[in-house]
Amino acid sequence: MDIILNKWSDMSRFGLMICLVLAMGACATTNVPAPDTSEAESMIKQAEEAGAQEYAPLELREAREKVEQAKSLVEQEENAKAMRLTKEASVDAELAMVKARSAKAQEAVKQLKETIKTLKEEIERNQQKQGGSQ
Amino acid sequence: MKHVYKNIAFAGTLVASLLFVGCAGTPDTNPMVQQAQTNYQQTESDTLVAKHAPVALKEAKEAVTQAQSALKSGKDEAVVNHKAYIAQQRIKIAEQTALLNAAQDEVERAETERQKVLIQARQAEAEAAERRAEMAQEEAEQKKAEAEAAKEAAMAAQQRAEELAERVNELEAELTERGLVLTLGDVLFDVDEATLKPGGQRAVTELTGFLREYPERSVLIEGHTDNTGSDSYNQGLSEDRANTVRQALIANGIAPERIRSVGLGEQYPVASNNTSGGRQQNRRVEVIISDESGEIPDRQ
Repeated sequence: MDIILNKWSDMSRFGLMICLVLAMGACATTNVPAPDTSEAESMIKQAEEAGAQEYAPLELREAREKVEQAKSLVEQEENAKAMRLTKEASVDAELAMVKARSAKAQEAVKQLKETIKTLKEEIERNQQKQGGSQ
Repeated sequence: MKHVYKNIAFAGTLVASLLFVGCAGTPDTNPMVQQAQTNYQQTESDTLVAKHAPVALKEAKEAVTQAQSALKSGKDEAVVNHKAYIAQQRIKIAEQTALLNAAQDEVERAETERQKVLIQARQAEAEAAERRAEMAQEEAEQKKAEAEAAKEAAMAAQQRAEELAERVNELEAELTERGLVLTLGDVLFDVDEATLKPGGQRAVTELTGFLREYPERSVLIEGHTDNTGSDSYNQGLSEDRANTVRQALIANGIAPERIRSVGLGEQYPVASNNTSGGRQQNRRVEVIISDESGEIPDRQ
């Protein structure tokens, strides 16, 4: 009996320890590796190349600021927060890039439609001249 | 003994639970997650996004799910908010991607149309240019034709004038202020008679030919005498002689309405009646030939 009881006791102690460690781990902000901001930075670069400075300046600024913040948080060993900001900067930059590309494409559509309109008017004028001469 | 261990195990679980709750401590609602859910539902129901950005939409859905599960599993509020933020941005990315892809499709379509319309425009322009060239050519040809016609008309007029001059010369007519005047002298009539001698007949034949050639012209035939004899006799003789010439022309087929005859007696001598030569000159018939409009100015 004693042997069995002792076994129970060991298991309970072990379980308790696991529970505590897990609970501690869930709360912990340390032990997270410092984020790699290069992906976010490369996304920012792509956004800039897509014309985000002109077409999505707010999103682009947000992304840049978050990267800067993330870097200073790493120095303060606030890695978890830095990680979140880096991820956010990355999606902000992605949004800026897509927004810029979208705006440019829409401008291209507008220009094309205007060109088509002008050409059609030109055709009409030429055909009206024909009508007039006949 | 058994109870003691049980209690220890229970206490351990309780401590662990308390610790867990203490550090999570969040409600199961979060405004940012809720907002992300609402936005996602709106975006999902947008057919444009479903059609043009299915992958980005799926990524947005996953991000929303992650935010929800972070909330459900009681993650730190900062983590939940972060996940919700990522979800919000992913939704916006999906929307913008849809707009981008739709615009790119439109660019492709519009570019095709532009090419088509450009070809049409060039064709229309070429056709218009061709028409302009044709019109210019037509105009040039018309002008050339007009110039030629004018030249021909001028030549014809010149020719007519030359012919007229020739005919007038043949008629022995004189160009006077009243126009062309052909004088049939006394010698062409029988003495004191209104009948024409063969020489007079020849003159009438010449005149007939002329009038046939120039159908737009008409004639006024005036009979004149010298001052010998009574006025009434001279008037009668002048009328008769003028009428003789008229009738001769009518007999030759000239329309009567083109010929007017009048007897003027001794009123308009052309020479002195004191000499026999002058009197002979005064006994005459004058044929005044109208201009092209058929007009004959009145005797002044």
